[in-house]
Amino acid sequence: MDLDKLLETGDKCIHDEPPSCEAACPLHLDVKTFISEIERGDLKKAYKIMEKRIPFTKIIGRICDHPCEAHCVRKEAGGAIAISELERYVVTEGYSPPKKTLPMPKNKGRVAVIGGGISGLTAAFDLDRKGYRVTLYEKSNRLGGGLWSYAGKGLDSEIIEEELQKIAAMDIELCLNTSLQKDDLKEILQQYDALYLATGEWQEKLQINPHSLQVEGTSIFAGGGLIDRESMVMAASSGRRAAISIDRYISKVSLTASREREGIFETPLRFETEDEEPLNRVKKTEAVFNREEAAKEAGRCFKCQCVKCIKACSHMRSFNISPDAYVRQINHNERIILGTHYANKMINSCTLCGLCREECHLNISMKAVVQETRESMVEKNKMPVSAHDFALKDMAFSNSQRFSLVRGQPSKEQSKHLFYYPLISYSKYVQGLFLGTGKTAYLFYPGCQLPASFPDYIEEIYRYLVGSLKGDVGIYLGCCGAPADWAGRKQQADENAKEIRRRWEEMDRPTFILACSSCSSIFEKYLPEIKTISLWEIFADYGLPVSNNRIQERHILNVHDACATRYNTKIHDSIRKIAYSLGYQLQELKYTKERTKCCGYGGLVYFANRQQAEAFVEERVREGSGDMLVYCAMCKDLFVSGGKKTYHILDLLYGNATKETGLRRMPTLSERQYNRAMVKKRLLKEIWGEEAMTAEEEFGYNLIISEDIKHVMAERYILLEDIQRVIDNAQRNKERFYNVENSSYLTRLRMDNVTFWVQYEEMESNINILSVYSHRMEVVEE
Amino acid sequence: MSKGEDKNHQWICDKCKVQLKLKKVKVKYLEGNFEVELMKCPSCNIVLILEDLARGKMLEVEKGLEDK
Ligand code: SF4
Ligand code: SF4
Ligand code: SF4
Ligand SMILES: [Zn+2]
Repeated sequence: MDLDKLLETGDKCIHDEPPSCEAACPLHLDVKTFISEIERGDLKKAYKIMEKRIPFTKIIGRICDHPCEAHCVRKEAGGAIAISELERYVVTEGYSPPKKTLPMPKNKGRVAVIGGGISGLTAAFDLDRKGYRVTLYEKSNRLGGGLWSYAGKGLDSEIIEEELQKIAAMDIELCLNTSLQKDDLKEILQQYDALYLATGEWQEKLQINPHSLQVEGTSIFAGGGLIDRESMVMAASSGRRAAISIDRYISKVSLTASREREGIFETPLRFETEDEEPLNRVKKTEAVFNREEAAKEAGRCFKCQCVKCIKACSHMRSFNISPDAYVRQINHNERIILGTHYANKMINSCTLCGLCREECHLNISMKAVVQETRESMVEKNKMPVSAHDFALKDMAFSNSQRFSLVRGQPSKEQSKHLFYYPLISYSKYVQGLFLGTGKTAYLFYPGCQLPASFPDYIEEIYRYLVGSLKGDVGIYLGCCGAPADWAGRKQQADENAKEIRRRWEEMDRPTFILACSSCSSIFEKYLPEIKTISLWEIFADYGLPVSNNRIQERHILNVHDACATRYNTKIHDSIRKIAYSLGYQLQELKYTKERTKCCGYGGLVYFANRQQAEAFVEERVREGSGDMLVYCAMCKDLFVSGGKKTYHILDLLYGNATKETGLRRMPTLSERQYNRAMVKKRLLKEIWGEEAMTAEEEFGYNLIISEDIKHVMAERYILLEDIQRVIDNAQRNKERFYNVENSSYLTRLRMDNVTFWVQYEEMESNINILSVYSHRMEVVEE
Repeated sequence: MSKGEDKNHQWICDKCKVQLKLKKVKVKYLEGNFEVELMKCPSCNIVLILEDLARGKMLEVEKGLEDK
């Protein structure tokens, strides 16, 4: 996998980019964290956060001209957050004396700072900290410059004095009452490695580089009033930036490299406020906010962060992770050779639904990232076998003789016993057979899950298709390969597609009629040359099948679109059209159509992390107040398991008269396979008049399995068939243990890569199952 | 473990009708190869794994090896 490309994708994500207030703060106060601490009531921490970025905190915290507020996104929803008021509150209430720091050895060089205002002071302070010997020249008899104009206007003189003590306490050489002119510079420059000019004015016009503050081609740097006469916080910022430039200059490092984000910059972060309720700015009752006011104002702050995709994705929320961090985790996972791959479970818990990309204005697709990662894990043999083993075996079942089937429409010759009046006059199916040409125009491909969930509807649909479409309709039973694709087994999915293609060519390239959204997306991805049409489109366009069995009530339904076909507007429209023509009222969910969510089955999450799948179900079923309308078998099964009344579109078309159809329990995994086999058998018999060649295995006894055990079987992916084989082996070969206390038997059989255990008791010709379990570890019996 | 062992002792080999014995047995999974003491039939070698072991320690080791 291309890890550089991966990291690039992660870097694009703006999840953690600074909010616009922080970007507009010339000193880049971490406003979000600062405000969160106020909200939590930890003012000491809030103060420390200020101190980290704001020099002479107690001064600037009181007089800052807050360019941040003009950029606060709360602006449109009740007014910008009163950041400067909150700072004033924190410097008043949260000050604690700083920890003593050890003085640095002053061996990096000598720097002169001219001008004792806030800019010069900041530069002197920073340079001293960086290990320079600093001399500070000030023309008047005291430091502070323009700061004194605030004395009595929001700032007590004592506080100015107190903060200036910091400089006095440092190892900085002070030269007060020293006015330096243009002509003095030459001499000064000879004594120092660099010079910072932070006077309010200068006798000549200087060419100051706006990024580095360097005066073109010299060791002079200029800021303070020379670049901005208005703003105190800009002045402090220029002092700080000059110190960085001077340090780079003297250390002979590039003056400009990666400094785009100094000073005010534009953040790439987007934070949408349309859905946010407006809240007015909190008014202070005295000079400074009180605790309650401050907390309330802090509460208005959005703590801006991009969480658009995360908000929509149950998976990322379960793992408490954002796409940028997710990518870093994958990168780490991919790079370790030995050691524990912690992220495996997470990677197998994404449903590959693609909603993240739809939500992201940068089109970042975690689906694509996770898909590629799974493929890479498979390639490197790092994919945990147990995650997808069952689903892949189930796929193999569907493509085996037990279910797989390809048949063209019964020929006229074969059907001639049906061509008699009145049958031919009222059965559209028989008319369809009568019009048969022998050339397959359509191939009905119901997929593997629809026949498993709705074994009773398949034959009826087939008859409907033969009766409605012009041209012969054949049938093709099998699995499209979605499980292999989701499991990251690209090669297996490719081979599966190749087989489908072969059949398609054999049948002279018919149009496939698809009824499963996963099939649709797999055909699009692996078999783009095959023309397909959805069954729903046919229903919508050719008229609904006749049925006198339909559910009588017409309640309001919430349509849940399948995530695999989020971009297929034809399917979305057809489903709605069918429901309308049946007389239902529909209510759209917030996340619908191209923004639909996954039910929790996608990406085989249902097998790899059942809890994660359940989290998806729970979230989705709570989103609408009506009953759910779906058109994917798995969506229905999962929502019903989550207690939601859910109708498959086929329930509305063919369903048995009761409303309880909406709560019909999902077939167990064993029943699903059984249903598929039955569908094949029945179709062969009823449509083609053939007996299925594969006889069901015969056992000479009756298995008794309680509901509890059935539940355990589903949870542990143990099929009825597995149990039958284990017991059959035990009964025939006596390979079993006998319990002397309760007379039960315990037996095991290893099949493929799993050992199955069954405990049972014999009751005449019945076998009563007491427990079932399995393990993958192989025990060598020698 | 004593409780688990008690349960072990309830079982005999049905084919050979003999008591099981605690023996060193090889178990394998992915790249892992271990030797552990398990109850087995001294005559036909069939090894007893009870549910607690399969769903407990064994599953844990399987998961651990899978994420290596
Ligand atoms: S809402 Fe809060 S985090 Fe967002 S811009 Fe305003 S102050 Fe900054
Ligand atoms: S593909 Fe779906 S489940 Fe996976 S990260 Fe994106 S939104 Fe979440
Ligand atoms: S929507 Fe998600 S992926 Fe896109 S920038 Fe925001 S957090 Fe990152
Ligand atoms: Zn034995």
